[in-house]
Amino acid sequence: MVASLVQLRGVTKRFYGQPVLSDVSFDIAPGEVFGYIGPNGAGKTTTLKILAGLITKFEGEVTIGGANVVTERDKTHALLGFLPQSAGFQNWRTVESALDTLGALSGVPSATRAKRIPELLERFGLSEARTKKVKQLSGGMTQKLGLIQALLHDPKVLVLDEPLEGLDPPSRKLLKDIIRERQRAGTTVLFSSHILSDVEDVADRVGILNAGKIATSGSIRELMTAFGLPIEIEVDLAVVPETLPFDGLGTVTPHKPDQWRLEVPTSGDADAIIHTLIERTLAAGGRIRKIGVAEPDLDDLFAQYITRSAARG
Amino acid sequence: MASATALLVRDELIGFAKSKVMLVLWVVLPLIAIVGYFLLPATLTGGGLGDGLGGGLSATAFMGFLESSLSGTVAALMVAVDIVSEKNRKVYELFVIRPIRREAIIWAKFIAVFSCVTVACVVAMALGIAVDVIRGQPMTGPMIYDAVKSVVALTGVIALSAAVGVFFGVVARSILVAVILILYVGQNLAIVPMLPMYLGILPGHFWVLMAVSGALVGVLLWISGLLFRRAEL
Repeated sequence: MVASLVQLRGVTKRFYGQPVLSDVSFDIAPGEVFGYIGPNGAGKTTTLKILAGLITKFEGEVTIGGANVVTERDKTHALLGFLPQSAGFQNWRTVESALDTLGALSGVPSATRAKRIPELLERFGLSEARTKKVKQLSGGMTQKLGLIQALLHDPKVLVLDEPLEGLDPPSRKLLKDIIRERQRAGTTVLFSSHILSDVEDVADRVGILNAGKIATSGSIRELMTAFGLPIEIEVDLAVVPETLPFDGLGTVTPHKPDQWRLEVPTSGDADAIIHTLIERTLAAGGRIRKIGVAEPDLDDLFAQYITRSAARG
Repeated sequence: MASATALLVRDELIGFAKSKVMLVLWVVLPLIAIVGYFLLPATLTGGGLGDGLGGGLSATAFMGFLESSLSGTVAALMVAVDIVSEKNRKVYELFVIRPIRREAIIWAKFIAVFSCVTVACVVAMALGIAVDVIRGQPMTGPMIYDAVKSVVALTGVIALSAAVGVFFGVVARSILVAVILILYVGQNLAIVPMLPMYLGILPGHFWVLMAVSGALVGVLLWISGLLFRRAEL
């Protein structure tokens, strides 16, 4: 068992008497990428702010690298790179001046800053904007600047609050590449996002937070199994027969024109059902373009979780 | 740690020096004040009718009066508005997540505003002296002593006001609240350093007044630092 680098134990936070987080606990191992997901208002940002030492009044214990985030802030801050949900910069600063100061405050030597800042600006496509004032940047560019400041001092732990928000697809891909690179270099990453396909792409494990409670955490595959998500068979017909072949096999829903999704219980034999579908379609004069099992993704998992939570009240 | 504070002070000084507010404070306002001085009716400035432009009051003294009535409020408002605005735009989140003393952020702000407003006062006084010299009223020894003393007294007022501004900047959540607090409460705090002398606790000496002001500035900055360190941003 690898010792955790980030540890939350029984964290409860109330705002004006109302619980925002209730007894939240999870661990993140060194070098792990942990995706933190949940609906709006679930308490994701509050959790990340506690980790960053921005919120100090809460119940429970939070440590980074064994140091308490409240009482040993200097130690945890030396390990941490943090991107807040909306990174704010002083308006008068240029992109370069903002990064240089924040880098210096993180203890990055001048020579390293002189090398690293242009490199990161180049990587994020902000080289041209280096002498621009921060207030002249677009939302997406400001988000990139926020990411650069979080990476500048090569932190051991990266905590990113909605890092993909406001980024165009190439930038999202770039960020995911960077997260993977950082992971290979041994960095531990915790990030929240509501773009679940992106979380699925990079996270080793996910934690689902709902109404201030950590509902479940584990690898995506573990969660799929634990949730017992139904198997879906996707059927795409080139020629649709007069009688559709799904009768008695499961719940069918139209997906796209000439495409259907057949939901079968987890216990069902997907291979046998596919065989039956092919036989019935061909016998009825239909022709199949594509047929196969549609793997459930994180979106399905999350939707299922929210539906079940709502049903439980 | 000292280098982090020095870096923040340097940056804040650059930030304020580059702002349009300082252009107004260092250049536009002194010029308007001098124009106002020339337009003042002589009877209002202690001279008789026909005493010519500016009346009987020297430009140096006029600028001194003006600065003493304005500089404190300007310093307090500048620093408070800046802190509240940056707090609301989440600027400090990126600073306080770094291994530095949180208090250094607002102390740097105090030093920058104090320095900038003091420079503005010196510029205004220098302009007044220049006008007097040009008008053939060079300063005598006692006048120079009074001018220097009034600048030193002004620095006390500016420091105290800026410290009050820092305090209200830290506690207020909106710019409007900070401004109201400064105008209604902060203005009255300027009298506090004089209380020990009025009450006969301390001798009524200029340097005692300065020392009391300095101590009050220290206390206000310490409390503000404490509150800022504990604040949830």
